[in-house]
Amino acid sequence: MNSMLTEPTAAVKIDSLLAPYWAEIVEIVPEAEGIVTIWLRFLDQTLQERYSFAAGQFNMLYLPGYGEAAISISSDPQRPELIGHTIRFVGNVTRAVSRLQIGDTIGVRGPFGTAWPLETYQGRDIVIAAGGIGLASLRPVIYQILNQRDLYGRVVLLYGARTPSDLLYSTEFSTWEDNQVEVLTTVDRADESWLGQVGVVPMLFYRLRLDTDSTVVFSCGPEIMMRFVVFEGLARRIPHHRIYLSLERNMKCGQGFCGHCQYGPFFICKDGPVYSFDQLEPFFNLEDF
Amino acid sequence: MHTHKVIELMTEMNLTIGSKVSIQKSELNHLITLLRDFGYETIGPKIHNQAISYAVVEQLEDLPQGYSSEQERGYYRLHKGNHNRYFGAAPGSDSWKKFLFPPRSTLFSAERENGGWNETINREENKKFAFMGVRPCDLSAINIQDRVFIREDYVDPIYSTRRAKALIIVVNCLHPSSTCFCTSMGSGPQATSGFDLSLTELEDVFLVEIGSDAGIALVQQIEWAPASANYLQIASKKMEKSMQAVTRKIDDPQSVPEMLLANLDHPHWDEVGSRCLSCTNCTLACPTCFCWEVEDSTNLAGNRTQRTRAWDSCFNLSYAAQAGGNIRPTTRSRYRQWLTHKMGTWVEQFGESGCVGCGRCIVWCPAKIDITEEVNSLREVTA
Amino acid sequence: MNAQQELIAALQSIPWFQDLSDQHFDLICSITHLVNVDQDTTIFSEGDKEENLYIVLEGRVAVELFSSVQGKIRIYTAEPLDVIGWSTLTPVIRQRTASARAVLDSRLAAVDGRELRKLCDQDYELGYIIMRRIANVIAARLMITRLQLLDLYAHPQGD
Ligand SMILES: Cc1cc2nc3c(=O)[nH]c(=O)nc-3n(C[C@H](O)[C@H](O)[C@H](O)COP(=O)(O)OP(=O)(O)OC[C@H]3O[C@@H](n4cnc5c(N)ncnc54)[C@H](O)[C@@H]3O)c2cc1C
Ligand code: SF4
Ligand code: FES
Repeated sequence: MNSMLTEPTAAVKIDSLLAPYWAEIVEIVPEAEGIVTIWLRFLDQTLQERYSFAAGQFNMLYLPGYGEAAISISSDPQRPELIGHTIRFVGNVTRAVSRLQIGDTIGVRGPFGTAWPLETYQGRDIVIAAGGIGLASLRPVIYQILNQRDLYGRVVLLYGARTPSDLLYSTEFSTWEDNQVEVLTTVDRADESWLGQVGVVPMLFYRLRLDTDSTVVFSCGPEIMMRFVVFEGLARRIPHHRIYLSLERNMKCGQGFCGHCQYGPFFICKDGPVYSFDQLEPFFNLEDF
Repeated sequence: MHTHKVIELMTEMNLTIGSKVSIQKSELNHLITLLRDFGYETIGPKIHNQAISYAVVEQLEDLPQGYSSEQERGYYRLHKGNHNRYFGAAPGSDSWKKFLFPPRSTLFSAERENGGWNETINREENKKFAFMGVRPCDLSAINIQDRVFIREDYVDPIYSTRRAKALIIVVNCLHPSSTCFCTSMGSGPQATSGFDLSLTELEDVFLVEIGSDAGIALVQQIEWAPASANYLQIASKKMEKSMQAVTRKIDDPQSVPEMLLANLDHPHWDEVGSRCLSCTNCTLACPTCFCWEVEDSTNLAGNRTQRTRAWDSCFNLSYAAQAGGNIRPTTRSRYRQWLTHKMGTWVEQFGESGCVGCGRCIVWCPAKIDITEEVNSLREVTA
Repeated sequence: MNAQQELIAALQSIPWFQDLSDQHFDLICSITHLVNVDQDTTIFSEGDKEENLYIVLEGRVAVELFSSVQGKIRIYTAEPLDVIGWSTLTPVIRQRTASARAVLDSRLAAVDGRELRKLCDQDYELGYIIMRRIANVIAARLMITRLQLLDLYAHPQGD
């Protein structure tokens, strides 16, 4: 490596790694108060054709002048010609997204991270436990299951949000139910018009009679919610390695070298965000870790 | 006399990787000139703000000849020693990291054009560094950062371009500082590979070991003699002594990663957390810390922006801030993160410890926190 | 099926009643009756002295508090096999702490609270089974409430 007489050996991938590719916003769908889905198409046609992703992966979205944010890809992996991102306006970048319009361009790097292990669990029962914006990461799982519904056993979506109007993708629920996906929702706050559950996602487990030998749990949502999902899962004797969680951390690079997303030995951007609980267990109940 | 013999002997002795020769100290000047002719920026120790700092060295006289340094916890002083060595003083707070992984670098700029954005990527310039006087521990540090920035799945363009062209001249340590613990981390006081040339500074000559083809090419163009048995013996005796002189130790270094992960709830974290100021000095001085942060700066019209990456530290409050709160709101949790990463989880991530035992974090900590002592305390109470 | 058979069949469908001995089961039957309520019917109201313990068999029942500012606030939605009105079994609370309203056509088993308390006092073995079950119900409700209190999905406070 140190020979002054030879050329650098580095594969210089500057363009794809630190600078984004540009994509056009082709559609903006309001999903709930402060949450939209933006649909993107790369300006570079060949890239658009090459681009593929797996359920659970994310992109780093870049708004010049504002910065980048890690955002899950919320659309169907088998239809990568339009890439959907469901975004909650919480900070610098995401609030700026709220001012974007159809036709605007936005930078994209990705896809990054690990996927929900759907292939591994063909023939199994799948419980999807999502909270709030966490369903964005799991919607591609549902699409993938619907694409090949007979490959999977029973499929249940347990989904919670703050209020009934905060439930994402609610217009799609009936299609999912028509395809034998049981949809159980719950909200934290509701008025008298609400016919459904009040409470948090883990309690939806109380309503289920699961075949625990077969069941796999995929969960994404606030970390406390996931802690209790794990609790309910383990209480039903679902083994540690069949409970999967998607974790969130501050991310700057997406490739395991800015350090920010570390969780013990893991770089969540690269080794995660999807982990089986047995990987996380040693650190899961530590404060401030 | 010396010169004459050399020319004779040169034809007899074939220089290869591993060859050991001696050069007059003044020949180092020749080497510097040669490197500069090859287009290298020659970087070496210089005195800056009363400490050693690495900067451009144009000639032998730029080196801090005759200086020694004294280090303790939260203490660093330079003074004239009773010797004439060029590499007698230990490094200050900075390291070679600042050249390979610059504290700030522009990644790209983007300009608004027809409603879209057009970016100009800041291609890495043709910077060729020759590092002169790299301590063995710092060489290990470079190798550790190589694993972070040059990987199968990711190659950092800035780091890798600079690194591929960098020429490394090591100086072995015959006079370790009191804060050094390289023998615990297996990184010093002598370098055995990974350099182009390594120097051992004796009273009147440099012993030079050749470590690469580039090293051969360089030595071929200066005046050298085969290393005499006498010089080799002196050097080896001094090196022996030097090893003994490294007295700061980490107990059972192999078991540290496991020990740290088994003690994440240890009360000692509270204790050290109460002393640490979260000032980030240790992470900036550390030659292996690699975390960075990235930000945009925009012009007033909002149609031009520049994206810059800069060193960050896990001691910064913003480091783990995210929607819903801060993951590590306390100094205790941030110190724990730093130490368990540096000496523990780093091994799982990159195959070796992130600590080389250079002692910079001990010297530059205003709270006089001593990493070796912290690690040993975490072990003691629970053993 | 006559009313009595219907009642027995309904109570047998409740898993935790299966822990009861035949004698205890019969005792419970004797103080229980079935209620059918239409959608939107109020089953009990906050402040009522009405003292039944209910087990939802079919349908869905909302448990609500009323606030003059916010109107009806949903606390819990009971589904089949859920217990509501548990406060009737505690030693001191003698009035309803919330209202219950059917949000779908529903069917419930109503156990006379006063009689049940009496049975528990007379027969500690039965009392233990009942109280253990109620403790479980309260614990679960408490956990749910705690998580709700955290307002997990709330918008992060500004920066
Ligand atoms: C793998 C992954 C997938 C994700 N998927 C999605 C998704 O699909 N949709 C979605 O909406 N979000 C998603 N997120 C979350 C999203 O990346 C973060 O919320 C991100 O921070 C938003 O960026 P921002 O610039 O808008 O917010 P930021 O400006 O980063 O602010 C976010 C929050 O952090 C706080 N904060 C930031 N910096 C500081 C500081 N220095 N000091 C104190 N507080 C600070 C702010 O107050 C704010 O509450 C995902 C995250 C990860 C890791
Ligand atoms: S350990 Fe010392 S140098 Fe490091 S952050 Fe704490 S006070 Fe600063
Ligand atoms: S986001 Fe940079 S290391 Fe994971």
